[in-house]
Amino acid sequence: MNTENQGYPNFPARPPPSSSSPFASAPPPGVPTQSGGPESVGFRPPTRPFTPSGPPMAPPVGVMRPFQPPLVSQIPGQGIRPPPPPPSSNSFPSTAYGPPGGGSFQRFPTPPPSGPPTTQTLAGHFSPPMQPMGPPSQSMTSGVPGGYASPPVTGFQQSMPSVNPSYPGVGGPQPSFPPSSYPPQTGGFAQPPGQQNLHPSYAPPTSNVQGLAEDFNSLSLTNIPGSLEPGLDPASFPRPLDGDVEPNTFAEMYPMNCHSRYLRLTTSAIPSSQSLASRWHLPLGAVVCPLAEAPEGEEVTLIDFGSSGIIRCRRCRTYVNPYVTFTDSGRKWRCNICSMLNDVPGEYFSHLDATGRRMDLDQRPELTKGSVEIIAPTEYMVRPPMPPIYFFLIDVSFSAAKSGMLEVAAQTIKSCLDNLPGYPRTQIGFITYDSTLHFYNMKSSLSQPQMMVVSDLDDIFVPLPDDLLVNLSESRNVVEAFLDSLPLMFQNNVNVESAFGPSLKAAYMVMNQLGGKLLIFQNSLPSLGAGRLKLRGDDPRVYGTEKEYTLRVAEDNFYKQMAADCTKFQIGINVYAFSDKYTDIASLGTLAKYTGGQVYYYPGFQSSIHGDKLRHELARDLTRETAWESVMRIRCGKGIRFSSYHGNFMLRSTDLIALPAVDCDKAYAMQLTLEETLLTTPTVYFQVALLYTASCGERRIRVHTAVAPVVTDLGEMYRQADTGSILSVYTRLAIEKTLSGKLDDARNAIQQKIVKALREYRNLHSVQHRLGSRLIYPESLKFLPLYGLAICKSTPLQGGPADASLDERCAAGFTMMALPVKNLLKLLYPNLFRVDEWLLKPSADLDDLKDVLRRVPLAAQSLDSRGLYIYDDGFLLVLWFGRMLSPDIAKNLLGTDFAAELSRVTLQEQENGMSKKLMRLIKKVRENDPSYHPMCFLVRQGEQPREGFLFLRHLTEDQMGGSTSYVDWILQIHRQVQQNA
Amino acid sequence: MVKMTLIARVTDGLPLAEGLDDGRDLPDSDMYKQQVKSLFKNLSRGHNEASRMSVETGPYIFHYIIEGRVCYLTMCDRSYPKKLAFQYLEDLKNEFERVNGPNIETAARPYAFIKFDTFIQKTKKLYQDTRTQRNIAKLNDELYEVHQIMTRNVQEVLGVGEKLDQVSEMSSRLTSESRVYADKAKDLNRQALIRKWAPVAIVLGVVFLLFWVKNKLW
Repeated sequence: MNTENQGYPNFPARPPPSSSSPFASAPPPGVPTQSGGPESVGFRPPTRPFTPSGPPMAPPVGVMRPFQPPLVSQIPGQGIRPPPPPPSSNSFPSTAYGPPGGGSFQRFPTPPPSGPPTTQTLAGHFSPPMQPMGPPSQSMTSGVPGGYASPPVTGFQQSMPSVNPSYPGVGGPQPSFPPSSYPPQTGGFAQPPGQQNLHPSYAPPTSNVQGLAEDFNSLSLTNIPGSLEPGLDPASFPRPLDGDVEPNTFAEMYPMNCHSRYLRLTTSAIPSSQSLASRWHLPLGAVVCPLAEAPEGEEVTLIDFGSSGIIRCRRCRTYVNPYVTFTDSGRKWRCNICSMLNDVPGEYFSHLDATGRRMDLDQRPELTKGSVEIIAPTEYMVRPPMPPIYFFLIDVSFSAAKSGMLEVAAQTIKSCLDNLPGYPRTQIGFITYDSTLHFYNMKSSLSQPQMMVVSDLDDIFVPLPDDLLVNLSESRNVVEAFLDSLPLMFQNNVNVESAFGPSLKAAYMVMNQLGGKLLIFQNSLPSLGAGRLKLRGDDPRVYGTEKEYTLRVAEDNFYKQMAADCTKFQIGINVYAFSDKYTDIASLGTLAKYTGGQVYYYPGFQSSIHGDKLRHELARDLTRETAWESVMRIRCGKGIRFSSYHGNFMLRSTDLIALPAVDCDKAYAMQLTLEETLLTTPTVYFQVALLYTASCGERRIRVHTAVAPVVTDLGEMYRQADTGSILSVYTRLAIEKTLSGKLDDARNAIQQKIVKALREYRNLHSVQHRLGSRLIYPESLKFLPLYGLAICKSTPLQGGPADASLDERCAAGFTMMALPVKNLLKLLYPNLFRVDEWLLKPSADLDDLKDVLRRVPLAAQSLDSRGLYIYDDGFLLVLWFGRMLSPDIAKNLLGTDFAAELSRVTLQEQENGMSKKLMRLIKKVRENDPSYHPMCFLVRQGEQPREGFLFLRHLTEDQMGGSTSYVDWILQIHRQVQQNA
Repeated sequence: MVKMTLIARVTDGLPLAEGLDDGRDLPDSDMYKQQVKSLFKNLSRGHNEASRMSVETGPYIFHYIIEGRVCYLTMCDRSYPKKLAFQYLEDLKNEFERVNGPNIETAARPYAFIKFDTFIQKTKKLYQDTRTQRNIAKLNDELYEVHQIMTRNVQEVLGVGEKLDQVSEMSSRLTSESRVYADKAKDLNRQALIRKWAPVAIVLGVVFLLFWVKNKLW
C-alpha cells in the first residue's frame, strides 16, 4: 500500500468526518461496480475519500485562518463572551431538546449570531463546526496547505452536498440532548450546515461564523455575578440517554473494516509518535468481541480455501484481507501489516483489471469483507475437532436441596438437552458432591444411572474409566432418568459439608482427555479436602487498610493452579454460586477467570424468586453457540504492539489468548504501546484471528480486519475517541486495581485519568479560545465524566464495606471483566423510563416503543411520584411505583393485592390490557439483551429499606452515602482540570 | 487393545474421521500419529501397497485396510489378535461406506465425517476385551483368513520411499561424476601429450634455428 499512498502523504490528518462524507455517498469502493480511480487496488477506501475531500479542507487552511481576527470582532457574541446567562435564558425552545430544558449547555445556534444568551457556551462541535475545526489540525499536520489550494472549485462544491446528508450519522450525538436531537438531526440540522459547509472554500467571510465555533463542547460552571443561584444547570449535563453511540465515522471511512461489534478501538486515530501517545491520557487499545452476535443477514461469511491452502503472509502470518494489495499482474501480494511481498499460489491466481483490482473480487469475500470465517485445514489441528462436552459439578448439600436450586437446575438441564449444540456428538456427564463424591455411570445400555460414592477425599480416583462422560444421543434415556431423580435423591439430604476441591479434581480427571465446559453449582463455602476455604468474610475492619485487597483475590493457590491445568486441557469453567452466606466468590471466580468462563451469582437463591433467572441464564449458557478449544491472537502493524490484555482468559504466550470455551457474550480488552518513536505509515492495521472448533465439528478461523489512520494531531485523536471502548478498558483496569489495592485508590485513579485527559484537551484549546471557567471536552468524550462516575459507583468499586457484600463485589467484578461494550454501558448507566402514560394510552403498541419510552436521567429529581418507572440495567429490572400513582394502574397491574407490601407481590399477568401490555414490554426488554435475565422487582416509593437497596442506590447521578453526585463530580473534575491547566 | 483409529482418504491423505479419545494413556501418541500421517502420505503418493497390511512399530502394530480409496487404520498392542483387529476394521468400513459412501470423494475439509467418531467409539468398546464370548467366537471363525496379510516394519515401510530417493540420487550423482571424470581424463591426456613431445619439439626447433642461422651467416 506504500505505493498507493504516496500521492497524499498526509491523508490521515484530514478530519475524517468531512472527508468521509463524499465517500459515504459513493458506493462502497471495494465493490466492483465502482470504476475506481487511477489509484490501484486494495487500498481503495483511503484514496477514494481523499480525492474529493482534498479541496474542501485545504481552503480553510489558507483562507480561514487569516480571516479569523476580523471575525471575532464581527460577531460580538462569540468574541466577547459576556458572563454566562442564567440557564433559563436559553434562546431556544428547550422542549426541542428533551424534557429538562437546554440550560446553559446549548446547541449551536444557526449561523447568524444570535444574542448573548446563546453564545458563550456554544456546543460547537456538531456538524457545522466540523468544517472549521479542520483547520487547526490540518495546518498542524499537513503543513502543505498550499499544495491543495488550487483545486477546481466545482469539484469541491459537488462534493459538498454529499457532506451534509452524511453528517447526522457522522456527528450524530453531538447535541447535548441526544434523545430528542438524534433523530431530528437529519432534518433539523440540514439547513444550517448546508450554508455553512459551503462557505469554507471561497465564500464571503460573513459565513465564517463557525470559524469561531469551537470543536469542543463545554459546560459553563461559573456563578452568575450578582445572583445567588449557582450558574450550572444539572439538566444540561450530557447524558447518554440514547445508550451507546458508536462513532461511525470510522466505519464510513473504511467500509471494509469489520463491524464495530467485533472490534472497537479506543480512538480511531492512532498517534504517530510516543510523545503524542503519552499526551493522550486515555487508554490506547481495543475491545474485541470475536463472536459477537450478528443480526440476521449479516452473519460472517464462511470460506473454504480448498486446495490452495489459507493465504497468509509468510513473515507475520497475517491472513489475507481486503487491505492487501496485488501487484506484478496478480502474481504477488503485499501484506498490509508487514508489507512483505508474497507469492500468490497458483490456485488463487487471478488477473488484475486495468485499475489493478482482481477480476474475481466479487467471488472472494475475504478480499471485500472485514470479517470472514475460514475453514481450517489439518495443519491447524493438534487433534481431531472435539465434540461439545458439558460436565456438571453439582453441590447437593442441604442448602442446595432446600433452596430449590437442585430442582431448577435439573429441570433446566433436562429441557435444554434437545438444544445442546453439536448433536449427535455432544457428551454430557455429572458429578454431585456433599461431603462425599458421587459419580454416575450413564452407560447407554443401562436403564437407570448407577451411582458410585467415593468418600476418600485425599486421594481422589475415578471409579470408572468410561461412561462417566457419555454421548448424549446414545444415553439420552439414562441422562433424563438421572435428571428426573436428582432432586428427589437429595431432597432429604442434611449434609452441610462441601467437598468442592476434591470434586473439582475428579471432574478434571474425567474431562482432561477431551476438555469441554464445566459448570459448577456451588451452594456453600468449600469446607473439605483440598481447596477448602476459610470464612474470611466481610470483615469491615480490613477495609481501608493495606490488606484490603487480599479479600478480593483467591485465598488458596489451589484455585489458580486448577484453572491453569484446566485451560491447558481445554476445560472452560462457569461458576454458579447460590449461597446466602459468604462463599468466597473471589476464590471460586478465579476458576472462571483463567479459563475464559463466567461467574453467575444468585445471593440467597430461592427458586420462587431466582428460579426464572437461573432457568434463563443456564439455558442460555447451555444453548448459545460456543467456540471450543480456541486461541485468539490480535496482530497489528509495525511500530505498535499490544502490551496488555484484560478480561477472563489465560495468556498462553505473550500474545496468544487461550480460551477453552468462548461465546458471543464475552469481550476482551487490550492496550497498545508504540514501539517505534515515529510511525511513518499513514495507516495502521489490526487483525483479530480466533481459531476455534465449532460445535458441528468444524475447525474454523474467524478473522476480523480493521484499519485506522495514523495522525500527528492530538485534537484528531480526541475527536475520534470512542467513549464506550475507553470505558470498557477503564472498567477492567479499575477492577484489576481493586485486586491489588484499595477501592479508594481505584476510584481516584479513574478520576485522575479523566482529569488528565480533560486537562490535556483544555491545554490544547486554551491558546486559541478563551475558555474562562468552562469545562471543555471533545464531543466524542462528552459522556466520559458521567461514565467515570458510574464506574466508581458500580458494584465492584462502590463505597465501603456496607455498600455491597464482598461476594457481590467480586461476582460483579468477574462479570464486568467479560462484558461486551454495549452491556457494560447499560450496566453503568442503566435505562430508566416512565411507562404509566404509555400504559394509559389505548392504541399504543410495542412498535413505537422507542418514541414512547424516553429515557430520563438517573436522578431522584426526574422521578415523578405520580408515575410508574422501569429501571433496567441488564441484570435487574425494577418497577418503581410512585406514591401518588393512580390506584387504577396499580390495581390493573398487580391485581387485588395492589395495596400490599410489594416485596411479597410478584408481577403476574392480569386479565386486562394494561397488564398484558406491561408484560409484553418487560418481555421485550428482556429479549433485547438475552445474555442475562434481569430479575423483576416491584418497589413502591418510600418503601424503605427495599427502595434504597434495590433502586435508589442505582441512581448514578445522586449523592448517596459517601459518594458524590454528578454535579459535584463535574465540579471536582473541573477544579482539578483547572489546577495547573 | 485398540489404541487409536483413523480413517483417511488415500488419494490425498486427507483425514476423514478419527476415534474420539485416541491417545488416551499413551505416552508417545504424538509420535505414533506422526507415523500414521507419514504412512498416509506414502499411500497417497501411490507407492503400490497391498490393500491389507500390518506394520510393526515399537510395542504396537498398525493394521490397515484400503477399500474404495479409503484407508482404515488402527493401532493395537502387538499381542492383540490380528484377526480381531481386521474384523474391527471391516466393521468400520462397512458402516462408513454405508453412511458416508457417496460423499467421500467430495469431502473438502479435514475430518469432514468426524461424526463417525461415535460409531468408532462404540465399535471399539466391543473389541476392547478379547475374551468376550463374541470375540472368541470371531477368533475361532475360520472364514476370515488373515494369514497371508503381510507384516512389515514401520521403518521399512516409511523407508521405501526414502531408499528409492537415495538410489536415484546416487545414480544421478554417478552420472555427473563420471562426466567430470571423462572431462578430466581428456584434459590429462592432452597434458601428457604435451609433456611428452614438448622437449623434442624444442630441440628440433633449436636445431633448425641453428641451421637457419648457419645458412644465413655463411
